[in-house]
Amino acid sequence: MRRSLPRWLRVAAVGLAATTMVAACSGKSTSNSGGGDEQVTLKIAFWGDFGLTDLKAKYEAAHPNVKIDLNTGEYNAQHEDLQKKLIAGSGAPDIAAIDEGFIVQFRSQADKFVNLLDKGAGSYESKYLPWKWKNSMSPDGKAQIGLGTDVGGLAMCYRSDLFKEAGLPTDRDQVSALWPTWDKFIEVGQQYTAKTNKKFIDAASNMFNPILTQQPVGFYDESEQLQMDGGPKVAFDYSVKAVEAGLSANLASFQADWDKGFLGNKFAVLACPAWMLGHIKDTAPSTEGKWDIAAVPGGGGNWGGSWLTIPKQGKNVDEAYKLLEWLVQPEQQIEIFKTVGNLPSQPALYTDPAITDFKNPFFSDAPVGQIFPKMAEGLQPQYLGKKAGPTRVAVENVLTRVQNGSLKPDAAWAEAVKEAQKAANS
Amino acid sequence: MSTTRTQPAQAGGPAAGRPGGGPPAPGRAPVPRRSNLRNRLLRFDMRYMPYVMIAPFFLLFAAFGVFPLIFNAVVAFRHWRLDDPDLTGWAGMENFSRLIADEDFWNALYNTLGIFVLSTVPQLLIALVVAALLNRHLRGKTWWRVGILLPYVTPLTASTMVFSTIVSRDYGVANWVLGLLGIGGGDNPIDWRADKLHSWIAIATMVNWKWIGYNALLYLAAMQSIPRDVYEASAIDGAGPNRQLWQITVPMIRPVLLFTIVVSTIGGLQLFTEPMLFDLNSQSATGGPAGEWQTIAQLIYKVGWKDLNLGYAAAMAMALFVIVVVVTGINTLLTNRIGGGRR
Repeated sequence: MRRSLPRWLRVAAVGLAATTMVAACSGKSTSNSGGGDEQVTLKIAFWGDFGLTDLKAKYEAAHPNVKIDLNTGEYNAQHEDLQKKLIAGSGAPDIAAIDEGFIVQFRSQADKFVNLLDKGAGSYESKYLPWKWKNSMSPDGKAQIGLGTDVGGLAMCYRSDLFKEAGLPTDRDQVSALWPTWDKFIEVGQQYTAKTNKKFIDAASNMFNPILTQQPVGFYDESEQLQMDGGPKVAFDYSVKAVEAGLSANLASFQADWDKGFLGNKFAVLACPAWMLGHIKDTAPSTEGKWDIAAVPGGGGNWGGSWLTIPKQGKNVDEAYKLLEWLVQPEQQIEIFKTVGNLPSQPALYTDPAITDFKNPFFSDAPVGQIFPKMAEGLQPQYLGKKAGPTRVAVENVLTRVQNGSLKPDAAWAEAVKEAQKAANS
Repeated sequence: MSTTRTQPAQAGGPAAGRPGGGPPAPGRAPVPRRSNLRNRLLRFDMRYMPYVMIAPFFLLFAAFGVFPLIFNAVVAFRHWRLDDPDLTGWAGMENFSRLIADEDFWNALYNTLGIFVLSTVPQLLIALVVAALLNRHLRGKTWWRVGILLPYVTPLTASTMVFSTIVSRDYGVANWVLGLLGIGGGDNPIDWRADKLHSWIAIATMVNWKWIGYNALLYLAAMQSIPRDVYEASAIDGAGPNRQLWQITVPMIRPVLLFTIVVSTIGGLQLFTEPMLFDLNSQSATGGPAGEWQTIAQLIYKVGWKDLNLGYAAAMAMALFVIVVVVTGINTLLTNRIGGGRR
């Protein structure tokens, strides 16, 4: 005897099958990929302020079929998210910004990005700083995964009003002359702290990072070996010295208390790569005119700078490339420089009067168009390893412990080496 | 094949018997058929319907409970890194032997247990006292009872962010109040994130704040089922409220007590959101600059999603599973012994 299904179950099964088929058909008929004038939404993922808000409106007005979705997030989170999406094979933004701290990790997965050379980006090579162009090339040199947006450069931002209170000079050239070296810088800080009873720098990590970028070798050498005794040791020793001198306000950078510290006059100087200008302006708009920019102690260095890349998994790769190409054109790069301070990575622009004559009103009309390009041109870039990001976090954490008193300064270096090794092997 | 062939014949049968489903059938022929179908349906209903009704839970549990568990176990024995997709293969016990030697793991275990003790013990004791108070004749009873549950209703992230601001070193209300009491103060504020004890207290406070009301309501419900005359009799014998609480109430609500202890053990050992958001740089998931308050759940997140080492993270998750089982077992044993339970 054959056991038969009850009628209601059969009806349900047929119904379900029918629905599925209808759904499948309708799905096929509505999805229509590759059309020319079809409406597309391009998602750009970045962190901080890339100066894209005004440009978005401009581009959308010129391209009615394109909608741009700006997705800003936390620096580390954005990179980690991108990594996850690359592995998962879907969900990545149409255009993903990548910082120099992570570019080594991603360029070795060049097969997951659109090779921009295939799209004709090769013509841009001559326009870029050579090292900037090279940094985003795949290891075999056959694929270019990104076009550079900005470079860091280095300068020192200072609060002229607080300097005045402390009896220090306020003119930017005189201030630059105060600190040719980091030792002198610490001395100035001691004068300031003695006079005002306030802290001089925001955090030891924001001394550590600029000093590290000035060294010939950073955390890793080109064979990806951890090199703590070179650059990191120099930067670490200066940072600890500043903490011992009582200069640090011990505020964790890019966190809420740090932001409040800008408004509460908790510190008087801050190492300023070009992109930091936008952050200061966004965080503490009420300090307009109180900041000024001087030279950084110890000479040139590069802290930060990014690329825009197109993950291969995106559905609108062509539209994304059009937008990417538009964003790196001189006109847009100059606009970004003016609004948020990010310094373009195309040296031809450094002699463009739109940049050279530009004075940043927020920073007491400091001639930023003179200061930063000079830094970027003479620069010897440092190799950053695959694990440079986590290693930096680990060492910054050790500095935080020295600052909050839970770690003795003389035990700090051994601890930093240990934590860095852990990060390197994680 | 065979089903499609038999289909029309069978489909026609019952349909013909349906009232109004065709010309009225002469004689009695359709009647046994109808009752046949009804019998079959009834039998199906009685015999199989209960399984159909409870199946969704088991299907969902299999998909979202058992499968991940098994998958996690498999991953724990493999190399699997997100930043190096080519590195796959069996790792054997490698992840686990690394775990034994990993001081970060032991530190996280220590933190988890420390925060667990600081949160669970006061939490349940205070909940008991609060429930005992709510069990009395109060004016505006409902108002108090609903009020005590409000922290539980608040979204966890929101309340954690508020607490995080309260214990801020430079701008926090907690340091201001303590300063008024002569502790710390403006010049020497307590840095809640600088050492284990302070950070543990801060996090345990967040946990307690959220769960005291929830547990108190459970206790209250259990307390209301205790007959009044037991209290009256003990009062005549001269027992005060304190003695009544420990010698009558607690033993009589023991099952609920056991339930809350098991639930808070599991929750406490998996603590994640509070320590995560307490960190100034919550993205780093390090639980403080030296992992002062990094819990195991947080460490698993860090190893898996920050270091991108999924195999090792899976091994840690297995270890956490074992720890939860062991600690819950110990707690159940202990609870069975207290409060006059079966010895």
